[in-house]
Amino acid sequence: MVRVKHRYLLVNILYPELLKAGRESSAKLPDAVTFHQPTTSGLNSRGLEKAIKHGVEELFGDYGYGAIRGSLQVKYLSTATSTFIIKVARDHYRMVWTALSFMTKVPGVHDAKPCVFRVIRVSGTIRESQEEAIRRAREQILAAQREQGEKSDLTLAGIFGPPGTKKDDVMMVDKGDGEEEGSNEG
Amino acid sequence: MAPKPGDAPRDGVNSKKRKDPPPSSNLKSSNTKQFHPNKRVKAYVARNISSQPADAALKNGELDLPAFLKSREFEIKAMEDAMVKTKKSLNLRAFQQMPRDLRRRTASHNVKRVPKRIQKKHAHELKQDNAPLVDRNKRKPNGSRGRIRAETAKRLGILAAKKKAEQKKEGNKKGEDGIQTRSPRPKIRMGKLNDPQKPKSKFRKRQVHKSWLPTHLWHAKRATMTEPAKPLWRFAIPITSTEKSYRPTHRATGARGAVAWDTSYLSTIGLEGTAKNAEKVLKAIGVVEPSLWEERGQKWRDGKRTWSGWLSREHKGQRIQIGPAIIMWCPAEAKSPEQAGSISAKTPNSRLFIRVHPSAFLETWTELLRVSKQQRPMVLTIDLRFEIGSIQITGPGSTEALLGILQPISEDSGRPISDHGQVFKSLAGVTNSSALPLNALLSFSVSDPRLRYPPQRITLPDPQDQNASFAQLQMLSSWPADESIPSPALFDRDARHKATRLPSQKAINRRKSLAKPGAYPDPVETDPSIPIMLFTSRSTSASSAQGVWTLMAPWKCILPIWYGLMHFPLSTGNNPRFGGIQELRQTHFEHGMPWFPADYPSTAAGHAWEAEEMKKREAAWSRRPKGKRVEWATVDLGAKRKGEIGRGWACDFEKLVGLPVEDMGKPEQETETDLKKLSQAPECPFEQVSAASLRAELLAVDKKLDAPLPPITHLATISLTPVTRGVAYPCARIYRLPAELSSPPSSENSPTTRKEWLALLPAYLGQKAPPNPKKSTISRIPLDAPLPQRVRLLAQSLIQPPPSENDECYPLVPDEEDLIGFVTTGEFNLAEGKGRAIGSVILAKVLEAVRRDGKCGGNFGRLCIVRNAGERVGRLATWTSV
Repeated sequence: MVRVKHRYLLVNILYPELLKAGRESSAKLPDAVTFHQPTTSGLNSRGLEKAIKHGVEELFGDYGYGAIRGSLQVKYLSTATSTFIIKVARDHYRMVWTALSFMTKVPGVHDAKPCVFRVIRVSGTIRESQEEAIRRAREQILAAQREQGEKSDLTLAGIFGPPGTKKDDVMMVDKGDGEEEGSNEG
Repeated sequence: MAPKPGDAPRDGVNSKKRKDPPPSSNLKSSNTKQFHPNKRVKAYVARNISSQPADAALKNGELDLPAFLKSREFEIKAMEDAMVKTKKSLNLRAFQQMPRDLRRRTASHNVKRVPKRIQKKHAHELKQDNAPLVDRNKRKPNGSRGRIRAETAKRLGILAAKKKAEQKKEGNKKGEDGIQTRSPRPKIRMGKLNDPQKPKSKFRKRQVHKSWLPTHLWHAKRATMTEPAKPLWRFAIPITSTEKSYRPTHRATGARGAVAWDTSYLSTIGLEGTAKNAEKVLKAIGVVEPSLWEERGQKWRDGKRTWSGWLSREHKGQRIQIGPAIIMWCPAEAKSPEQAGSISAKTPNSRLFIRVHPSAFLETWTELLRVSKQQRPMVLTIDLRFEIGSIQITGPGSTEALLGILQPISEDSGRPISDHGQVFKSLAGVTNSSALPLNALLSFSVSDPRLRYPPQRITLPDPQDQNASFAQLQMLSSWPADESIPSPALFDRDARHKATRLPSQKAINRRKSLAKPGAYPDPVETDPSIPIMLFTSRSTSASSAQGVWTLMAPWKCILPIWYGLMHFPLSTGNNPRFGGIQELRQTHFEHGMPWFPADYPSTAAGHAWEAEEMKKREAAWSRRPKGKRVEWATVDLGAKRKGEIGRGWACDFEKLVGLPVEDMGKPEQETETDLKKLSQAPECPFEQVSAASLRAELLAVDKKLDAPLPPITHLATISLTPVTRGVAYPCARIYRLPAELSSPPSSENSPTTRKEWLALLPAYLGQKAPPNPKKSTISRIPLDAPLPQRVRLLAQSLIQPPPSENDECYPLVPDEEDLIGFVTTGEFNLAEGKGRAIGSVILAKVLEAVRRDGKCGGNFGRLCIVRNAGERVGRLATWTSV
């Protein structure tokens, strides 16, 4: 039996613009908190799905829209932590990724803050994405606590952790897919 | 298959030719209705990951650190919960919950093939799958086998009815006489082969050319037996269990549990004569170790230890090895008053048992007969093959199982239980029988195991209790059984015969029903006592390896003991398992030990076995289609050498030593001469070299570098361990390392050099792995190279892979002159996680290689090259004598 294959994208919504503004206003908070601040509750999974579809349509036209329309699904959306997991057909997840990269605002909200959608993990099962989310959340907790304690000036270290412990940040690996895609197209 | 008429009305709606599509494939289709509507809801709930709104991470709409941390913690928790939930909601089929060795193909249509606990679930699943179910009551015997079975049952029914009617008539007559006679004690002829006891008429036809083991009926239902027309050593012997997986048996032998074998097919020979003459006879058949006949062997001669070793016979001034044997003496009795009175002056004859493998029985028997007749007064030889049976049991639970079923009793009522029985009882908690003194022997009498059936779990001492375990260790080292005289009952014909007159099952059931609930029936005076001997043996010299218990008892008492053993609940769960010949062989192999007769092709028994195996392998080979079998003539060995050496399906020692090959190509004429063949052993042109003499030869190799080599027909058994990887299979060819060449190698006459082979050695084995000359590698790192370059070169040399077998430069196997032997057993060894093999090699060629090596100053004499039959690639291996 053939199994329909999907990809799960774990995405964070980041606020780098606010970081600059926020530093001036309230210097008390750790940078990690500002950077990973919660997204407005106005964002819901339906709006997100719609926005992604719209973005893909804009970039790739009807072809792209048709390719992802059937399979795109928001599996998890947590506005408190600005994290979501979306599921998309394996062959076309790059279109979704591109659309996410081009989004600069939280969709469906009036005066949305400028933000960045960052894909931090592409995986074949949702389990892998969940594990990665747990790992990230742990790191953020540690980073925030450390920063609070140190009151360090190194903003970047607060966001990405100290320079020595840089993790494999973004999984931009499409190892197995190259051949398959080739065969699909060919 | 056409649907049977009986099937149709059973489930009118569901009996379609094609199954329904699986429920999950398309939920929107019409057949959604037949599933629970809340199934989808359940799945949705299981897959949902809970999340918080944005407010949770804020405090009054402002960013806040504690709230930020809280929200992250919540996310972690939610993710973890979701992972657990989805896993739980996965549908696990009933058969997936069962251990692998309990899974049955027939369970796919028969609910009763799964344990009771999950039968309900399984039935539900089968119904959902629309699987064709069987109903036992509606099953009709089909096929020829079913027909034959039904016919036999019918005939047996008629026979039974006739017999019953006859008995009724006779019973009336008997009532008049009032006398019932007991069947006489079977005669045992001295110095002659004895026939097995006449089987019941019902089973007589099936035992014309063979005999059954006492547990035959039990085994025949659970094991693959030898083919009816091809018995093994004139016995119907279980080959292997019908269970599909071997791994549970492997675990039971070493880690947890116990494995038992009915080894009643092993032959027992009794000797009876004066001590002096018995000693002479034993010395004549190869029991010559001087320590045995001195002070150190006193315990053995007193019947407190066994001796195990090889027997040999004299032939034209040379000693020819027969096979391994175990010898035990009858303990000298403390003089009983009757004997002392009647035949006062005469010292009682000493008696002893010799246990040999049935394949070596005839050879041993003839030799014993010849030698014992030369003694004055004569030593009697008694064939006790069908008098005494035995059970072997190994594994950590073996002692516990034996303790649970053997209940030592005193031989005479009124006397206490013998010391040996007491010692046996104190063994509770021993998990490895090799903890006992080497070759310890216990002889005592036990009660009928059927009185304590079903066996119950025994109380074991707490393993944490240090005092108790210390006391037990002390007991094991001091071994109090040595102080007392063991019971000689098993050597006594009358005692053996009395023990076989066990009460009927009916009588036992009656007594059991009279006993209090949960209690065993009380012993009564008329209970027969079963004389047994129990001894341990070690498979290897390493004391950590599991020892083996051997239980010897009268032939007819084996069955009740076996039933108890197989149903004993071990403290670690499950019951003891049983094994066949294959399991026995495999456990030997996993301990790295050869198994008689298969691994000794130079003994007469092993030669016969190998001939038989060769025929089987050849038949299997010739059955394969031409395109799919190895074409021996075209096997490419490299360097323009074509064709397998000798016959590819054989351990072709004949070819190796230049003997004419026996013609095997006339299988048609076999049937006539079958019986004749059985009686006369095939002549074996080879001679076995014992492990001890091989070791002695190797030790003395430095001193006598120029001594004459032994004859080329002398073979020694060795164990092989591959140096790198690879698995050798039976018939694999063993080469020695090629000789060091004085002149540079020319490609025509020498395919490979010694250096190339030694280059394959990992660095830790050889002190300095010589570089492979053929490989164009990085040469020495130049001294003046700058540090970064040196580091790079070093790393490069470290990660350079060893030459793989597909490489051009992988060394070719040596020439035929360096072929020294063949692998007899070889497989992947579960105990070690890599390939192991046992083989036989020509002693002369091995010595030559070792001497050659000694001259070169190397230490590679223990290295050899193993190549599977029909393959090109040889692999490096080390060998040791076993």
